[in-house]
Amino acid sequence: RKPPFFFSISYHLSDCRVREEFFAGNLEAIDPQISVLFARILRGKSSPEFHFLQLDEDDEEMATSKKVITREEWEKKLNAVKLRKEDMNTLVMNFLVTEGYVEAAEKFQRESGTKPEIDLGTITDRMAVKKAVQNGNVEDAIEKVNDLNPEILDTNPELFFHLQQQRLIELIRQGKTEEALEFAQEELAPRGEENQAFLQELEKTVALLIFEDAANCPVKDLLDISHRLKTASEVNAAILTSQSHEKDPKLPSLLKMLIWAQNQLDEKAVYPHINDLSTGKLEDPSE
Amino acid sequence: MSSLPSTANTDNGRHENGETSTGNGRDRDRDLILHYLDRVRLSATTRGDSKVDGEGEELPTELNTINSAGGFLIVSPDKLSVKYTTTNLHGHDVGVVQANRPAPFKCLTYYFEIFVKDAGVKGQVAIGFTKESFKMRRQPGWEVNSCGYHGDDGYLYRGKGTGEAFGPTYTKGDTVGGGINYASQEFFFTKNGALVGKIPKDIKGHLFPTVAVHSQNEEVSVNFGKTKFAFDVKGFEASERNKQQMAIEKISIPPNMGYGLVKTYLLHYGYEETLDAFDLATKTTVPPIHIAQENAIDEDDSSYALNQRKTLRQLVRNGEIDGALAKLRDWYPQIVQDDKSVVCFLLHCQKFIELVRVGKLDEGVKYGRLELARFVGLTGFQDIVEDCFALLVYEKPEESSVGYFLEDSQKELVADAVNSAILSTNPNMKDVQRSCHLHSHLEKLLRQLTVCCLERRSLNGNQGETFRLHHVLLNNSTRR
Repeated sequence: RKPPFFFSISYHLSDCRVREEFFAGNLEAIDPQISVLFARILRGKSSPEFHFLQLDEDDEEMATSKKVITREEWEKKLNAVKLRKEDMNTLVMNFLVTEGYVEAAEKFQRESGTKPEIDLGTITDRMAVKKAVQNGNVEDAIEKVNDLNPEILDTNPELFFHLQQQRLIELIRQGKTEEALEFAQEELAPRGEENQAFLQELEKTVALLIFEDAANCPVKDLLDISHRLKTASEVNAAILTSQSHEKDPKLPSLLKMLIWAQNQLDEKAVYPHINDLSTGKLEDPSE
Repeated sequence: MSSLPSTANTDNGRHENGETSTGNGRDRDRDLILHYLDRVRLSATTRGDSKVDGEGEELPTELNTINSAGGFLIVSPDKLSVKYTTTNLHGHDVGVVQANRPAPFKCLTYYFEIFVKDAGVKGQVAIGFTKESFKMRRQPGWEVNSCGYHGDDGYLYRGKGTGEAFGPTYTKGDTVGGGINYASQEFFFTKNGALVGKIPKDIKGHLFPTVAVHSQNEEVSVNFGKTKFAFDVKGFEASERNKQQMAIEKISIPPNMGYGLVKTYLLHYGYEETLDAFDLATKTTVPPIHIAQENAIDEDDSSYALNQRKTLRQLVRNGEIDGALAKLRDWYPQIVQDDKSVVCFLLHCQKFIELVRVGKLDEGVKYGRLELARFVGLTGFQDIVEDCFALLVYEKPEESSVGYFLEDSQKELVADAVNSAILSTNPNMKDVQRSCHLHSHLEKLLRQLTVCCLERRSLNGNQGETFRLHHVLLNNSTRR
């Protein structure tokens, strides 16, 4: 009586080519490692009611190319990693400091003994600038930035232009049309003459004045609060850079690296993944 | 997991909620033992680690005088120069020298340079890489499993007598470099500080930096890194890392992921005050940060006993060990009931350490006899107890090899152990999450990242860099 499943699989084992044959009542009865390989191979094929199944050239290639790592082996490797608590604390502190959460950073220093990588006083200053822009007080923000470090705006013409542009937007928002035009002519037009991109931005901004109903015109995005946030972000980044600090926290990059590393390893191995970053739960390779 | 027949106190302990600790209690304690005692040992080994770079591979430092093609060449006494002495007659009397060690694997690149002091009669100098078994009378590249960039024709040879046009010729006064890029699996060569070109490396296994001279009076000196290179290798490495970094940055992750992970981290370890400040800050930013995983966080029940864990951590960090023990007896007697448990051990050790810290050595000895002596015979504890007692011996214990006990990291470790122990008493904790009290989610992600990178490297012939959090944090680049 022919068994329901017969198949053969060829693979490399220590430089030998091995061919194994299996008989099984159903797929689940096969060694789980092989069944994982099998699920891949069968994917795209017609239903597994074949009584006789033979792998063709392509399938053999796929079957031989990837190393299978069981959950047990993988967990052993995970537990063998030497990770220092201090390093994880530093990563968290870096996050708090870059995002500008002064109180949280202070408390964390007290509760964990982790030293912040920059002077917490500078964070407070930086946050004051950011907040000023977020609230539309651009003049105030510019003053604060220059108090903090006059070189920042001197060496960052694009940032300075964007701040001035935001000031113009706020004047327009407040309905101070005459003042806005004067400001545009005196402060922004000269910059626009020097730089084509600035000129285009300036023209877009001035266009706000033309429309009766600025809130619904083609360039209404400029009036949106998100534009303030964008400018605030730019200032924040420039201040951090001027303090020789990276403008982004390291943590999100590491999360991206995890996904990248898993994608890279997928080309060569079958192993348990973490698919849900928020829980860190280990999942068997699903097919 | 089979339930062990319990002889331990964990079975007799019933805490306030009436829950009986079963075999699971023994498993948890065993996890705690292994994990935290290992962490103590890790502190011991990483004490001088900040200076140790690389992964313990030895680098080539000089030329190998033993296996070189003797008779055709002389190597200088400092083993950094080679000169062809006779007149060459044919293709099997090349003067070839390899470095004393093969190029290391576990780095992004390996690189070395030669300086042509004298091009001799025919200028047939070569630089390249060969295997240990190379026939030492042939130019690198003329035999299989070798490659060489030759000065007389500027060709690249890789495995046979005919090469391919590759770059400029080079002669007296030129500095030529040869390197391996493990990430892209390529050889690359430079001339006078500029990159000449690269070719795929299809040779597996260890490769020796190789230098060859072939006509009378040719003389070449080698630089394995003792002096500054003409080519900016670090810059080259940085731009290679950058390429990879740019590919990584393109990946998208759910928004505000970082916030959620920081929050669960703070919850897990009981940093309650930081957490409160963090929550306040995220809610008052413009726009307020919405942490998408609030549901997942609640399911985990990681806020279990948050205030008590915070209190205990504070007591430990302040050195108030008696206070900590008192609170534990009050709130979680089952944790301190077995006086041979990990938590008890670490707390008593810490008390001992605090006494040594303030110079109360006599009191320390008394305390040690009373509370630590019982651990001396126990496997798993003995080595740590002995190292800890060694603190008594030094006039300046903080500068000794066991000084790590006096550092902040040790207090943090003890606080973490107490924290884990409390988390493990949570009656709501499902069996599946047994390891939850040991690792925060962030830690799990970092471990996965490390293992993926290690495994990937191992499948790449064990060549290339891997992920090390410590290096990422030290350098201002996100990969080392």
